[in-house]
Amino acid sequence: MSRVGILVFPGSNCERDVFTVLSKFSGLEPELVWHTKNDLRGYDAFIIPGGFTYGDSLRAGAIAAHSPVIRELKKISEENLPILGICNGFQILVESSLLPGALTVNSSHKFVCKSARLVVKNNSTPFTTMFKKDESISIPVAHGQGRYVIDNRAYRKLERNNQIVIRYAQNDINGSMNNVAAVCNEQGNVMGMMPHPERAVWIQMDQDIRPEGSGVFESLRNHLLWH
Amino acid sequence: MSELTAGETKYLRKKLGRKPSAFELDVVSAEWSEHCSYKSSKKLIRKFPNRSKFVIPGLASDAALLDIGLGYVLAIHIESHNHPSAVEPYGGSATGVGGVIRDILSLGARPIALLNALRFYPLDNANKRYSQSSRWLLRNVTKGIADYGNCIGVPTVGGEVEFDRGFSNYCLVDVAAIGISKREKIIRNRSNKRDIVFLVGGATGRDGIHGSSFASKKLSGEDRSAVQIPDPFTEKLLIEAVLEAVDRGCVNAMKDLGGGGLSCCLSEISETISKGLEVDLSKVHVKEDGMSPSEIILSESQERMLVITSQTNQAYLTEILSKYNLSYSNIGSVIEGKNLVIKYAGDVIMNLPSELICRAPLIDRDTIPPESKSEDRNLYFRERPSDLYKSILKVLANPNIASKKWIYEQFDHEVGIRTVLKPGTADSSVLRLENGKYLAVKLDGNSKQCDLDPYHGTMCILSEVCRNIISTGGKPLAIIDHLQFGSPENAHIFWAFKQSVRAIINYCEFMRLPVVGGKVSFYNENNLGPIKHSPVIGSIGLIDRSEWIMMPRFGSEESIFIIGNTKDEMGGSEFYETTGRAGNGKVPIVDLNDDMRNAKAVLRLIREDVVSSLHDCSKGGLAITLCEMAMRGGNNFQVDLDKIPNSCSSISNLLFSETPSRYILSTNKRKRLNTMLSAISGLEFSEIGMTTNNGSESFLHHSKLNSPVILTQKNITDSYENLGTIMERTPVD
Amino acid sequence: MNTNTSKSRFIVLVNIENKPYVSDPEGETILRDLIMEEGYSVVESVRTAKSLKMIVRAKNPKQAEKMVMKICEKLRIFNPIISSCTVNVVKSLP
Repeated sequence: MSRVGILVFPGSNCERDVFTVLSKFSGLEPELVWHTKNDLRGYDAFIIPGGFTYGDSLRAGAIAAHSPVIRELKKISEENLPILGICNGFQILVESSLLPGALTVNSSHKFVCKSARLVVKNNSTPFTTMFKKDESISIPVAHGQGRYVIDNRAYRKLERNNQIVIRYAQNDINGSMNNVAAVCNEQGNVMGMMPHPERAVWIQMDQDIRPEGSGVFESLRNHLLWH
Repeated sequence: MSELTAGETKYLRKKLGRKPSAFELDVVSAEWSEHCSYKSSKKLIRKFPNRSKFVIPGLASDAALLDIGLGYVLAIHIESHNHPSAVEPYGGSATGVGGVIRDILSLGARPIALLNALRFYPLDNANKRYSQSSRWLLRNVTKGIADYGNCIGVPTVGGEVEFDRGFSNYCLVDVAAIGISKREKIIRNRSNKRDIVFLVGGATGRDGIHGSSFASKKLSGEDRSAVQIPDPFTEKLLIEAVLEAVDRGCVNAMKDLGGGGLSCCLSEISETISKGLEVDLSKVHVKEDGMSPSEIILSESQERMLVITSQTNQAYLTEILSKYNLSYSNIGSVIEGKNLVIKYAGDVIMNLPSELICRAPLIDRDTIPPESKSEDRNLYFRERPSDLYKSILKVLANPNIASKKWIYEQFDHEVGIRTVLKPGTADSSVLRLENGKYLAVKLDGNSKQCDLDPYHGTMCILSEVCRNIISTGGKPLAIIDHLQFGSPENAHIFWAFKQSVRAIINYCEFMRLPVVGGKVSFYNENNLGPIKHSPVIGSIGLIDRSEWIMMPRFGSEESIFIIGNTKDEMGGSEFYETTGRAGNGKVPIVDLNDDMRNAKAVLRLIREDVVSSLHDCSKGGLAITLCEMAMRGGNNFQVDLDKIPNSCSSISNLLFSETPSRYILSTNKRKRLNTMLSAISGLEFSEIGMTTNNGSESFLHHSKLNSPVILTQKNITDSYENLGTIMERTPVD
Repeated sequence: MNTNTSKSRFIVLVNIENKPYVSDPEGETILRDLIMEEGYSVVESVRTAKSLKMIVRAKNPKQAEKMVMKICEKLRIFNPIISSCTVNVVKSLP
């Protein structure tokens, strides 16, 4: 059994969704971890779920990035443990400099909730090995501050290092630079993604959404099984 | 600031045997406002049927409870925030969401879904100034609901929007919430002497003082009491903390604070637990210094809950509240007797029976039927195929019909991973429940029809909302209502209100549906006059198996059937509205026997697995129903209009009449379906055409037309996206 | 609107903030959960605001401010029910 810590902050919303989904995958044992915890030993991976930590005050993720649990996470990230941030989790990871770049207000200036077509560009992270390279998948997005921004030089470095893991296949989502939907750190163990894979696990009636989010969690399970 | 009438003042003095103090007067007048006391409507709405085998009796409080099996219960409630939203749409609509969520929370249930019903002035093609104001309202109401609902992590799964000239410089914002709980976790509101009263959440400030009196008057100018600042983050903490406290069994009784603030909350909970309360207002945590006792007790500051816990559980409760960094104050305790004792810094400033405060003297209002508004003239309309084609596209482009994508894409409708049918995909929203069943839920309204004929208009809404549940495979379980009218002091308006109530009673008694929650909102008026009568009806239904979930989505090569007769019933129709004939025509009449027969037939077909796609035929009429099914399925249709059972005097009436109780469905088992329907005596139905695949166009044939009406997917879709087009064309107003 | 080119240009800063008696949950959260949490007890209060920077043509700074205020009121750039608005010329442009 691999223990996956789901970090919960005041204002997190998707922790129970991620918990429910992880519980469906045999071999994964999810556990909710409150943000004041300052000892993260004993876990095999971490997920920071979506939500509106601290009501998105200042900037999405800005206040949560100062939590004790994130200070610990920074130490642990160097041990190569898989860390996944989804939506607000991604925002927290960039605000705490665990991932490069910034996420800012959508170019439409509106919250957007819809199914997004995506292309997997890097299938060697712990969260994407179950996908083929350049595979097209659909996963819903739901965010108001998901426009990925980074300076040109740093962007080129991301491309060189294969750190852009997923892109949007359509350009009407949030105005992200070159349609970036997910990035990872240089080592590849920390990844942030704006789309919500936990929302595309059960087969929905809506044919637009196939259960393609499962791949993210299956990849994690396989990674933990073999590492 | 006393708002009591001369009669009420006299009654209060007689009951007290003395002159009330200024403070007592403040408390009583808040509770006796129309908004809190229902003094005009209570006698009438008491007659709603409210029992069924699903309803859990004896817990009548903020929201009704339904037993949905396997130990789970559902709570449902509806609220409006019309006055505040018309003045400050962002904060008004947002705090409206907060209020209804706390109604659900106060039962100990976790909120799992939000819906809304919104009404505005038309967005364009009308008075320029009003339209601009309407776009401003829509933009900010949408953002207010989105920012609040999204932040607290409760999905907004569905809604209903109407645009009408009856809402100039005004808007109606109704929000409904659904909660789920285990039966044994529900708060029973039983409390003992010496239990402790906590006020939890946001600090109490001068915001929203006299808000409920404000909502009991017509809107005039800009008013500070309407200012309510939403704080969804505190609400989110409140939800999690309260549910954790409920889970650990440290809540004996609980109530949210809404209109009337602490004064209404304290008197009502004292009545509910049949005990007295002693509360010291100087202990309330406040936002600003120097607040008077009246200001503290009347404040309508948001994101507050009253929690009553035992001495032994007090420490557990405060531990949980501290974990979430929530402010709270221990403001008093439960006492013997049934009085509400209010102190300030130790001194008693009020000691009155809670019952006296809670029960305003009820009023019998006069009713006078108005002159008939609707003219039933037969209006000539040219019916060449090109005229009909243009009309279909025009009705589709009418924001009342057109896709509401611009609105619902701003709402997180998926958090909670239980949304099976999302907004915009089907006739009602469908959610996955913990007990393995599925919940269908929908709100509907139709102020155009209700304005012309409040009785039959309300009947039409009831019939439509149930059809919407049935069209996704659900069996309606219960009804909620929200009756929104102008001033009850106007005898014509009160007459209309009574008609609407009578319709709900008649429909629900016939269909054996309980009314499990409701709300009355009067004084929806501004200096331009009262709104159109706007009852909003909600329904929830259960779907036992996922195979029974239905969508309005044509496949290819399927047979199309219609169930129900089509009549010349054009009153309040979108077709008349779109073609400049609003106010004419007869409002459709629901034949209860037909309604029931057709509904039962459709449910049986679904359970026998002979239906491929299904859609209720209502707003916009038959032509619109067919176009929507074609669009959503990405396939087309060939329909022979001569085959439709009807008594219409023209082709346009046949295409656009809004006769209730009709369904359109497609099947690839036409023979079996035919046999099954033929066996039902009195059922009107017929096979009217075929669906075709994606590549072709859609055709409507009629023997009186020299060529068919031809529609392409692109024409239909472009028209249908008109609401977004209008809103994006004018990005800032 | 007069677009006389002989006028000067000014940078005008528009500041929109909740009125003093209207609460500001975002400011309170930043104070409580970030600044206080990190131990900076010298900060007493935080209020958030929205600011717009406009470059306008006008005869003089006073006229620039007056004109911008009028535009803000007329176009409902702020909602007078909850917000107060201040307008200041911060720089004259050549």
